[in-house]
Amino acid sequence: MKPALVRLAGLLVTAAYATLIVWVYARQPRTVRQLTGGMAATVGAYKVDPANFEEGLRFFRNDQFMEARAAFERADPAHQDALVQFYVAYSFYRQGWGRVYKDAALYRLGLEAVDRAIAHAPGGRLVVSDGTLGMHTADELRAELQRGAQRSMSDLNPMKVFEPRK
Amino acid sequence: MTTGPSAVRESFVLPLVLLTVAAAGGLRLAPDGVSLSFVPPPLIALVLAVLLMGVMARAGLLLPAALVGDHRTGLENASGAVVVLTLFVASAQLFTCLTPDAGMLRLLFNLFFVFLLWNTLAAQPDRGRLLRSLVVVFGWAYVIRYIALAALADPQGGWTRRIVTALLEGASAGPVAGEPMAPLAGYVAFATVALYMVGLVLLPRARPVEAVAIVTRAPDTLE
Repeated sequence: MKPALVRLAGLLVTAAYATLIVWVYARQPRTVRQLTGGMAATVGAYKVDPANFEEGLRFFRNDQFMEARAAFERADPAHQDALVQFYVAYSFYRQGWGRVYKDAALYRLGLEAVDRAIAHAPGGRLVVSDGTLGMHTADELRAELQRGAQRSMSDLNPMKVFEPRK
Repeated sequence: MTTGPSAVRESFVLPLVLLTVAAAGGLRLAPDGVSLSFVPPPLIALVLAVLLMGVMARAGLLLPAALVGDHRTGLENASGAVVVLTLFVASAQLFTCLTPDAGMLRLLFNLFFVFLLWNTLAAQPDRGRLLRSLVVVFGWAYVIRYIALAALADPQGGWTRRIVTALLEGASAGPVAGEPMAPLAGYVAFATVALYMVGLVLLPRARPVEAVAIVTRAPDTLE
C-alpha cells in the first residue's frame, strides 16, 4: 500500500476517533449503558423496549410513579428517547404535586428529564397526544415543573389549593 | 537529520494510543462502581502539558522537525501535526488522571509537577534519562493518588490504610482526607500511564550520526 494512502487513512481514522471522544465528553454519559446506548443512537441503532414502555405507562396511569420510572428506565436505559423521557418527567411532576405543597426536589428531577426529552425531540418540539394527560407538550410540562421548583410569594395564595393536577 | 518514522506508526499507532490516553485520563469511576463521568482537562493541566512538551523537546524525546517541516509532503506534515496535537492532549489528560480532583492535595500535586518538570528542564537530560525520570514522576503520583489516598478513604483499607495513616501522622497538621474511588479506577489509571509511556517510546528518534569514512593514502604512495 502506498504511504500516502496509509497516511490519509490514518488521518480519517484519527479524526473519527477524536470525534467520538469529544462526543463522549460533551454528552457526559453517567453509566456504561448510557454510553453504549448513546453511541447506538448516533448510528440509528438504538431502540426503546416496547414491552417495558407499555408496562411503565400502565404503572404511570395507576399513579405508581416509582414503578413506572423503573419500567421506563428498562425501556430507555440510555435516556435517548424523547417520549420516554417526557413520561419520566411527567411522573416526577405528578408524584411531586400536592394540593398545598409541591416537592421541589422531585420537580427538579423532572426538569432534568424534560430537558433530556426536549434535547432528543426533533427540532426540540415534542407533542404527546395522550388523553390522560393535562399537558401535551414538553414546553408546558417544563414551565409547570419550573414554576413548582421555585419558591415565590404566590405560593401563599390560598386559591392555589383549588388548582387541579394536570 | 532524523529518520522518517514509519507511516503506519505515525498515522495510526501513535495518534490512536495517545487519543486513548486522552479519553481514559479523564474517566472517573464512582465508588459505587456504576456511575462514571468524563472530566475535561483543567487549565493547569494544559500549562503542565506545555511544560512537559518543552522538556521533551529539550531532551530530544519529541523532535518537532522530524514530524513537521519543509522536507515533508503536506500529508506527512498533517499526520505529524496530529501526533504533536494528540501528544499535547494526552499529556494534559494524564495530569488530570494523576491529580486529585479537588482540595489542598490538588494544589500540592500541581506544584509537585511544576517543580519537577522545571527541574528536569534545567537538568537537560537526554532521551533515555527523561523517559526514566518520567516513569518515576508519574509512578509516584500514581502510587500516592491511587494506592495511598484510595486506601485512606477506604474503611476496609486494612494494612495499607494503617501504614499510610502512620506515615502521615505528624507530617500534616490535620487528618488527610482520602479520595474514595472504584477499585477499577486504579487499574484504568495504571493502563493509562503505561499506554502513555508506550506512546513516548514510540515517538520518532533522532538518527544516529552516520559514520564518516576518511580515506587516506598510505605514506609510501605520497612519495
